[in-house]
Amino acid sequence: MDSMYYGDTLIVDLDSGTTEEVDFVEADEAGPGLAAGLALYEKYKDADPIIFGSGLFTGTPVPAACLGFVLGRSPVTDELAVAPLNLFAGSEMKLSGFSMVVVKGTSAKPAYLWLHDGVADVHDASAFAGMDTWETTDAIRREMGESMIQVISIGPAGEAGSKLAAFSINYWGSGDTAAIGALMGSRNLKAVALRGLGMLDADDPEEFYTRSLELFAFARKDRGFAALCAALGAGDLDKWLEPIAHRARACFACPSACFPFVKYNEAPTVMESSDVEEPGMLVTSPSAALWLMDGGWEPEAASRALEAMAREGLDMVRGARELAGKPLTDLGQITRAVKALEGFAEAAWPSGEPAPAGLFGAWTPPLADADAWKLANMAGYVLGVCPTYLMLSEFDLEALAGLCRPATGVRLEIGGLADMFG
Amino acid sequence: MRVKVNPLLCTGCGLCELACGYHWDEAFSLISSSVMLYRAEEKKNYMGVIVKTEEDLFIGRPEGAAAIKLGELSRGGTGGGASAKPILIREACDLCESTTGEPQCVAICPHGALYLE
Ligand code: SF4
Ligand code: SF4
Ligand code: SF4
Repeated sequence: MDSMYYGDTLIVDLDSGTTEEVDFVEADEAGPGLAAGLALYEKYKDADPIIFGSGLFTGTPVPAACLGFVLGRSPVTDELAVAPLNLFAGSEMKLSGFSMVVVKGTSAKPAYLWLHDGVADVHDASAFAGMDTWETTDAIRREMGESMIQVISIGPAGEAGSKLAAFSINYWGSGDTAAIGALMGSRNLKAVALRGLGMLDADDPEEFYTRSLELFAFARKDRGFAALCAALGAGDLDKWLEPIAHRARACFACPSACFPFVKYNEAPTVMESSDVEEPGMLVTSPSAALWLMDGGWEPEAASRALEAMAREGLDMVRGARELAGKPLTDLGQITRAVKALEGFAEAAWPSGEPAPAGLFGAWTPPLADADAWKLANMAGYVLGVCPTYLMLSEFDLEALAGLCRPATGVRLEIGGLADMFG
Repeated sequence: MRVKVNPLLCTGCGLCELACGYHWDEAFSLISSSVMLYRAEEKKNYMGVIVKTEEDLFIGRPEGAAAIKLGELSRGGTGGGASAKPILIREACDLCESTTGEPQCVAICPHGALYLE
């Protein structure tokens, strides 16, 4: 299955700081995307690796084909768990020349992995130790002289092994609800930096492209945050954030744009590039915002709390749940309350409930019944298409799977997905 | 006739860049694309779209749209223009002359941020 995938599987050994590319023939049998990721985990399970992967269509013009993933053993549940690589991280990874990366071992000192244009290097990240995710993103972009590098990094929470740690994608946190950020920290892997201008081929490019465009004709196209709030039964969340809302932003290839940007360090009406370098925050977790709204927070203070959690490298959903009943307004107090979350060490949610078990964790919102939710996750992580978008738009999964043949020359049946997950 | 940009409608999905890449390479890549999503000032949520033609760059940025002569940009340019330099080595827009119907970038943009004028 060479089409849509790019190069071989990369094996990174953090013990020695070396990388090698291997031919992963089992992928053809296992299936693409997360199915290949699970097979790779099985193959290298003695090393308990962390796997960074992309889906079959990630990086192509298929609606919401932004999705990659990080797969590893969750320090919270001790089970395999997956966390999404959305925004531009999944597509940038694929276009960097690596569709599957297996990270083994533990670095003797903080390290970051730099994947670009088919080249993989392990770099010393000692100078970034202790930095928050915003500082780390800026430092790596400065070091490489490229402002569009996508950075998956951990902050102080991940370095300390907090059970509430999450990796962040650039500045905006992530849907890591399984403490993969702490797993990265335990291996001294401070960040993975991605940049690529590669090229993905299809088996039959014209048919693939034409049929993708047909999917766009029926695709949901809107500022998806309002729709997402309504589908979650939280229509007032959109209204609550409205006074500080700036422009909505989409992940790569997503026609829906469900992330509102909020500005609290300058007027939200400022559209030009002003001299305020850090005007606000991209709200990537509606569930976290909802916890804070329901917990009595004002939108500006809540947004500052989300920023503080993303900076520290904390899971915004679980963090917001803990902060919910204690609304704060003073920035110093917010910063201290967020910092205190890091010390959380139990294998449970802060509220005392058991952590959400299962491969897909709690990132994908419950926009359908349990079976449809699971199917959207399986299809999404195999094909590289956002499961939230699939549910929000009630996407025709058969039509989506129908793109597999022009993409790769091989058919994929939605009915066969469950087999890929054992 | 040229492709113009209404930048405030853009959500930064990058589809136009990918569609134009397909127009040039019949594969999925950004390397040749005549249109570029400007997303270098990410922390400010500042986005724009740049289209390269034979003579100029049409820069659609939130404070307004403007055409800048290629020579001006290579001498330094200003603001978003200076950070648009990678597009100088890409193909110039041919309005998808080999395609029937709408140009690829206009057809795929989910929010009508690109149009022909
Ligand atoms: S629905 Fe939201 S999370 Fe999913 S791809 Fe679109 S913008 Fe990203
Ligand atoms: S009209 Fe065609 S060539 Fe010009 S920018 Fe759009 S897709 Fe590219
Ligand atoms: S396709 Fe439209 S919304 Fe997407 S980046 Fe291009 S101009 Fe913006």
